[in-house]
Amino acid sequence: MKVSFFETGRYPVNSDTPREWPVPSAAYDPEAGAKAYRAMVERARFVQKLGFDWISLSEHHYSPRILTPSPPLSAAHIASQVDGIKIALLGPIVPASNPIRVAEELAMLDTMQPGRFVFGLLRGTTNEYLSYDLNPKEARERTDEGMELILKAWAEPQPFGWQGRYFQYRTVSIWPRPPQSPRPETYALGVSAEASEFAARHHLGLGVSYGSFDLMAQATGYYRERCAEYGWEPGPDDIIYRCNMILGETDEEADAALERRKSAQAPFPIAANLARALIDQDRRNVGGETRPANVGRVLPISFCGGPERVIKQLRQAREQIGVGVVDISLTDPGSGDTGAMMEKLELFGKKVLPHIREV
Amino acid sequence: MADFREGFVEADGFRIGYMEAGQGPALVHLHGAGGLRLSPAHDLLAQQFRIIAFEMPGFGASAENTRTQSMPELAATMGGAADKLGLDRYNLMGTSFGSKTALWLALQQPERVLGLVLESPAAIRPQGAATPPSSPEELARRLYAYPDRQPPAPAVNPAIRAQTQKLVARLRGPDRDRDLETQLPQLKAPTLVVFGTRDAMIPPEMGHFYKELIPNCHLVFVYDAGHAIGAERPEAFVEVVSDFLERHEAFVISRAETVIHP
Repeated sequence: MKVSFFETGRYPVNSDTPREWPVPSAAYDPEAGAKAYRAMVERARFVQKLGFDWISLSEHHYSPRILTPSPPLSAAHIASQVDGIKIALLGPIVPASNPIRVAEELAMLDTMQPGRFVFGLLRGTTNEYLSYDLNPKEARERTDEGMELILKAWAEPQPFGWQGRYFQYRTVSIWPRPPQSPRPETYALGVSAEASEFAARHHLGLGVSYGSFDLMAQATGYYRERCAEYGWEPGPDDIIYRCNMILGETDEEADAALERRKSAQAPFPIAANLARALIDQDRRNVGGETRPANVGRVLPISFCGGPERVIKQLRQAREQIGVGVVDISLTDPGSGDTGAMMEKLELFGKKVLPHIREV
Repeated sequence: MADFREGFVEADGFRIGYMEAGQGPALVHLHGAGGLRLSPAHDLLAQQFRIIAFEMPGFGASAENTRTQSMPELAATMGGAADKLGLDRYNLMGTSFGSKTALWLALQQPERVLGLVLESPAAIRPQGAATPPSSPEELARRLYAYPDRQPPAPAVNPAIRAQTQKLVARLRGPDRDRDLETQLPQLKAPTLVVFGTRDAMIPPEMGHFYKELIPNCHLVFVYDAGHAIGAERPEAFVEVVSDFLERHEAFVISRAETVIHP
């Protein structure tokens, strides 16, 4: 199994920061922001030394919780200063983007450092529909079409036009083209039947996130079925699992931390009425089975324990979900407690990581 | 629905049927290997063009065609039919098998063809292309990305289907037709090639060959459409076809208005 560290920018939130979303930018401290971006590079070096395979990034907006609104910029920032470690861009949020621009920027990265990047394309979390005025009812279809257009822009050798439902271009011919043919290492992200169907049809990997082993296994099981329909079988590296982990020196220490977290609130919640309205309009499913969208709820913990128990749980995840790349957070984004996080990372690196290869 | 009227014209000794509707610039359509079947795209095109959809000799209700031996011959016959209708200069659209007929016709009568549209063209096929569909269900899966959304296909008399298949096998030519491909660089007509991204009959990846061979060629993918683009995404198909036939190369300049509140 491979291991990836989910890098979120770690802006140090203080007690004065308004606890709402969007977070007023008046509360932003430029020095703290600059420091957060410098620290991204330091952490990338740190996790690389510990033996992590990947560092992953995401796209989120209007909040200090995850300070990376542009995955390609985050990736270029790290890649230009840290050698070696693979960088996974898990966004971009496709329905809110110009797919041609996404195709171009990812191709630029893949050209600057061939083979260094992994790309994940996704629909995005429900609250992000508010960031760029995206109609939730159109998000799914915009995602599917946008992803297909990105793949086409990478692969097509001659200028072409695109007559879509949501996107229309008369002339597309991107430079540079990604050096890897027909495409760089690419995943569709999400637990929905649609994400699995798309990934299976285009021979892509699948990235699932933040759910119990049972739910994730339901999603990856569906993905495998669809891949079989299309006549291929995904390998272990084709399944990424992004998740939270509470790691303690001992099981008791981790369990106590989990107990304390039970009363945790989302750091920057969306107002309740707005969250309800969003959930009403956002249709989500796990492998085809309807599930409500998650807006403002705290994300679950998937792994909890001392090193030995966590290794067992990782084994179970491998067997049950088929995961080949585990993409972890060891402390909640937005907590600002980077000291504790570095300690946990070190513990993970010393006590868990050496055993992960056997999983 | 456009009011299509049936007509017949004599050419090369064949009695050739056609369906015609609409006013405006003439647009001649040559159907695919399955014969003439009007689609929602024909209706939409009839709002802007005088569309004449021919039934080529040997297809559908016409008599068996044992005479035509090659695609250039069939193209010459169809050019003659257009002539008989008094069409001096016209736009030409070919679908799948009919795209190859249209290409030959545009090469034979360059002064007549104002603009050429190739819908899911089958003139260039991957080497060792798939075998013909074994059942109506299989045919539907090859034609449509979403067969369930289509009205049932009209029943075809097996004897007529066998005659048509024989004709198609005789005329379609090799997967890579050197006779045609060596002439394509001389093609004068502005050409639009349209493929559905989910074409299961001819891979849309064939599109770039036309661009490489034809001097003034534009390639457009219609997202989420199968082989029968005009049936599955008629609005998207007709919008790009009519824009191209109106403006030719300039159709790449966007006219979409994005002002929200003036």
